[in-house]
Amino acid sequence: MKRLAGLPTLRVNSARAVSIEYDGKRFHGVEGDTVATLLYANGTRIFSRSLKYHRPRGLYSLDGQSSNTYVDVDDIPNVCAENTFVGNGMRVEPQNVLGTPEHDWMAFMDKLSWAMPAGFYYTIFHKPARLWPIAVRHIRKTAGLGSLSPDVELRGRFDQIYPAADVCIIGAGPAGMSAALAAAAQKLRVILLESRPWLGGYFDYRTRNHKPGMPLYLRGRQLADQLEQAPNIRIFKHTAVIGCYSNNLITAFQRGSEADCFAERYVQIRAESVVVATGCIERPLLFENNDRPGIMQIGCAHRLARTWGVLAGEQAVFSIGHDLGIEAAIDLHDLGLSIACVADVREDGCDPALPPQLEARNIPFYPGWVAAKAHGRKVLKKVTLTNLSGVCKQQFDCDTLVASAGLTPVTGPLALAGARLEYDAHTGYFLPTGIPQKMHAAGRMLGLEDPTAIELSGRLAGLRAVADCGMAVGATISGVEEELAKLPGPARGSKFVVAPVEGKKTFVCFDEDVTIQNIDQAMRLGFDVTELIKRFTSAGTGPGQGGIAGHNLPLYVALTHRSPDLHPRPTTVRPPLVPTLLATYAGTNHPMSKRTPVHASQVAAGGVMERLQPWQRARRFCADTTARAEIENVRTNVGMLDASTLGKFRIFGPDALKALQRVYVSDMARVSTGRMYYSAMCNEDGCVIDDGVATQIAENDYYFTTSTGRAGETSEWIRYHTRYDRWDFHIINLTDAYGVINLAGPNARKVLEKVVDGAVSNEAFPFLGFREFMVHGAIPVRAMRLGFVGELSFELHVPSSYMQSLWDILEEAGEEFAIWNFGLEAQNTLRLEKGHVILGSESEQRTTLHDIGLGFFWHRDKLEAQTVGAVALKQTENDTSRLKLVGFKMEEPAARAPRDGSPIVAERIRGYVCTARYSYALKEPVGMALVEGYLAKNATRLTIFEDDCKGELMKAKVVPMPFYDPTGKRMRM
Amino acid sequence: MATIERRSPVAFPVRAVRSTKIGHWTVVQQYTNEGEGPWLIDLSHHPRWDLQDADIRRCKPFPVNVPVDPGTCTLDRGLLVNRMNRTQCSIWHLLGDTPQPPADPVCTETTDATALMALAGGKVFAITEKLTNLDLTDPGPKPPFLLQGPFCHVACQLVIAQRRDLDGTLLLACSRGYGQDMAHAILQAGEEFDLRPAGEDQWRNLLKQIQNERSERF
Repeated sequence: MKRLAGLPTLRVNSARAVSIEYDGKRFHGVEGDTVATLLYANGTRIFSRSLKYHRPRGLYSLDGQSSNTYVDVDDIPNVCAENTFVGNGMRVEPQNVLGTPEHDWMAFMDKLSWAMPAGFYYTIFHKPARLWPIAVRHIRKTAGLGSLSPDVELRGRFDQIYPAADVCIIGAGPAGMSAALAAAAQKLRVILLESRPWLGGYFDYRTRNHKPGMPLYLRGRQLADQLEQAPNIRIFKHTAVIGCYSNNLITAFQRGSEADCFAERYVQIRAESVVVATGCIERPLLFENNDRPGIMQIGCAHRLARTWGVLAGEQAVFSIGHDLGIEAAIDLHDLGLSIACVADVREDGCDPALPPQLEARNIPFYPGWVAAKAHGRKVLKKVTLTNLSGVCKQQFDCDTLVASAGLTPVTGPLALAGARLEYDAHTGYFLPTGIPQKMHAAGRMLGLEDPTAIELSGRLAGLRAVADCGMAVGATISGVEEELAKLPGPARGSKFVVAPVEGKKTFVCFDEDVTIQNIDQAMRLGFDVTELIKRFTSAGTGPGQGGIAGHNLPLYVALTHRSPDLHPRPTTVRPPLVPTLLATYAGTNHPMSKRTPVHASQVAAGGVMERLQPWQRARRFCADTTARAEIENVRTNVGMLDASTLGKFRIFGPDALKALQRVYVSDMARVSTGRMYYSAMCNEDGCVIDDGVATQIAENDYYFTTSTGRAGETSEWIRYHTRYDRWDFHIINLTDAYGVINLAGPNARKVLEKVVDGAVSNEAFPFLGFREFMVHGAIPVRAMRLGFVGELSFELHVPSSYMQSLWDILEEAGEEFAIWNFGLEAQNTLRLEKGHVILGSESEQRTTLHDIGLGFFWHRDKLEAQTVGAVALKQTENDTSRLKLVGFKMEEPAARAPRDGSPIVAERIRGYVCTARYSYALKEPVGMALVEGYLAKNATRLTIFEDDCKGELMKAKVVPMPFYDPTGKRMRM
Repeated sequence: MATIERRSPVAFPVRAVRSTKIGHWTVVQQYTNEGEGPWLIDLSHHPRWDLQDADIRRCKPFPVNVPVDPGTCTLDRGLLVNRMNRTQCSIWHLLGDTPQPPADPVCTETTDATALMALAGGKVFAITEKLTNLDLTDPGPKPPFLLQGPFCHVACQLVIAQRRDLDGTLLLACSRGYGQDMAHAILQAGEEFDLRPAGEDQWRNLLKQIQNERSERF
């Protein structure tokens, strides 16, 4: 097809050719083409087949308002050809066709439309019931548009940005641009979002004069130039708004060009004030076969020629309801399109200057006429026009029908933000009312049509946004208000008209193949609310997000409703307003995890790393998943565990002890210097949330540890529970400041005494002792004698930056004993053998201190402190209905350990296995379980269910804990 | 024999051209191909403290004043004091030397608690807006000022030390454990702006600029 050249409105670069492969053939276009314009310029008229009836569908809006032009691009389905720029070498395939778009083997579905009335999947194929599973398989097979291969790899980078602005303007048409300039003039930071790849909105392609000598497109570019020069305006082109939330949070996505380093990026803006100037889209005209390829909106035909240099066809008929249609007919005629006639659904009210221009071009004009039926099996061949009563009819041959009932405002962002939409009989629009504070509407969406008024309304909205930012522009606002009042206000819109047709193939929603007959069917079944009709018929639930159906559906329902309440109500819009790739929402999403100070050496030592809460930790250092060698090394020799993830805190100040008393269940007054004190924290329900040790460093100065999982919350927990007390204490989280090495095993002392400057004998440094040493005279170490793994152990807290050096030093000192790392798996088995709990493994959200046998920690005589959870502990202390923690062994020592989490059953679920492992020390499996009270007695049989046990329950018996070294001799040696 | 060294939580994937020893730290003065900026500079070896007291304004562990309002900072003789809230400040020593740690118990040394990095040069705030929804370009507060909030989804202290449109210098402190991933995420986000790691030499130049600007202003 020959392109129109030399038009000043063109947005393509004819000098640079591009090509794509479509349906196995190569097609050529020019730089700036979208997939849709390139294919259209090459003669493609049928882009896809419709969802249910496989009807041929073609170019309709150029703005992606329906799924008509959804194609598969480079294996990504459902790509909208209308707003996807061509990239050289793109491979495009039609979708939802069996065969080709022209010869679709599924086209017979159109003949079966009688079998698919509204909500057919709710009403048929259900009796007999056994029919439905068969039917649903076939319905699902045929439903949907494109199909995504599970192997497809989405190419390109998906990014995100969070720009901040004082004023965010949605829509860069004349009103949006004027608003931006008004706000920018006050030195505010302005962000302007435009869904099209260029600014100008509906000025951009129109040659009608704005002022004498100044056509609209030139005015648009003049404004755009001013914007580009303003340093405080950030312009995001090709950026569609997808969400609008409270406190002016705007979300959008931007399509990248070849020059950008992203394919798409998610944009999230927090602005002080928002101006919505999204303009209008066209309201589809309802007539028989209104979906035939060759039928398109006014803007589509006009922009196709003016922006891309492609005439929509050779012979066109216009059936319109707005002056834009007459203007387009005149302009397209002048560009070479033969116009058979212009039918205007309005009987009067058009701009009186326009009909004489039609007449001058010998274009017949039919006011009060409308398209009634499009003819042509696959593409448009002719059209029947009728007057509104349907008495007079006339047919015209044509390959293009430009059809539009009028305009409808794009109110999605306002509706999402909470504005109400009310039908305005004058404009025929759903106009926004109750717009949230610091949000303003401007431009065509308010019904304005006079270009100067549109610009001025934008300026006014921009100034109001300026006022929202606290600037004194009241006088200027009043001036602009007065000026605007003198200009033409909202224009009268065209009435809602349905051509006098049967409506069998008069589509309200293209995406879901919903006709007005379907709407009638739904209403006959008793659906009388638009929202319900929408759901029952699925009108407006397709990828076009209600763009096509959003206006006509409520109006049609109101028109045909028998209820006296004829107030049309639009359906609810929800984000995303425009379909978006999930990859765009995900963005780059760099994984963020914490590494311990010896992370690199743990990896180098063969550590199998895994993410545990925010941390990367070594599960084991050997291929054996049971970590047997590591366990045995700790039991018989000496091992080192990187325990840096433990929470570590300093709390100091005159009231530090009171704060500790408040959150710990024990009497923290017993915490002293040189000694470690083990205790636990509960929540208000008496449920245990944390355990750890504390020591006193100096007067009113304490150092304490928490579990890894609670490290992030402890400071706030303590502050929260002391918030009314006005106590003078301060807390600082030192979790990352100190690395921790757990040096454990019978040879641990021999290793440690080689490197520290103090005595570490059992007498000098007894169990539960706390000492401060220097290692090699340079590394300060806080050492604790603890026994979590049930052996002689030293927990060495060292400034993180020195941790690797200390680790290396200990490794070197332990070389003669064949010291070796151990990981979490070994630690888990070691502490299990000892009967030591890990909160989260042996407890869950409802587990109290008493349930896990730690009730002895609770010091009920604390006078001053009201211990968090004390009341609940008192109430639940003797509650026999609660799950209790027990130790168990398998009845058959040769049996394997049950899996963690396996339910314990006796007629019904009676508890669950918390942790169970094979104990190499005891040579049999051991475990801990939370069970109902009556099962907690020693020697009680527990029957354990596993997923794949096939009815063969595992049998265990309750035994006392600890399993290993019950007297604790080894920890105290 | 194992040597005693203090290690930064951040390691850049580029070769160091020149390093010096400061105490037990090995500080890279310059990396290969540092470019013209923007730069990411690891400052984790610079001493830092947390200062907390009910009457924080009376505390003077160093001969510098504590800023009056939360969110404000003072930079004096290489000491950056960031007022975090009613009772708390963070203090960062930004010069190359190692000062005597304060004896006052209201101070806790936090050098090893956080990773400290500087992101400086052209288009810095175009990089940061990819990583945080905090408004670092708000023309209201005058640098240096402190923001506390998520950066790469991680709670951070951010000090805007210098700002001119999208250019400037940002100091960022996050939990030490996140240091490596934070550096990686920043470098990745900055790829399109040619962000590169830089050493202490570059930092000294920047600090001089910041201090000069401040003295000009006052």
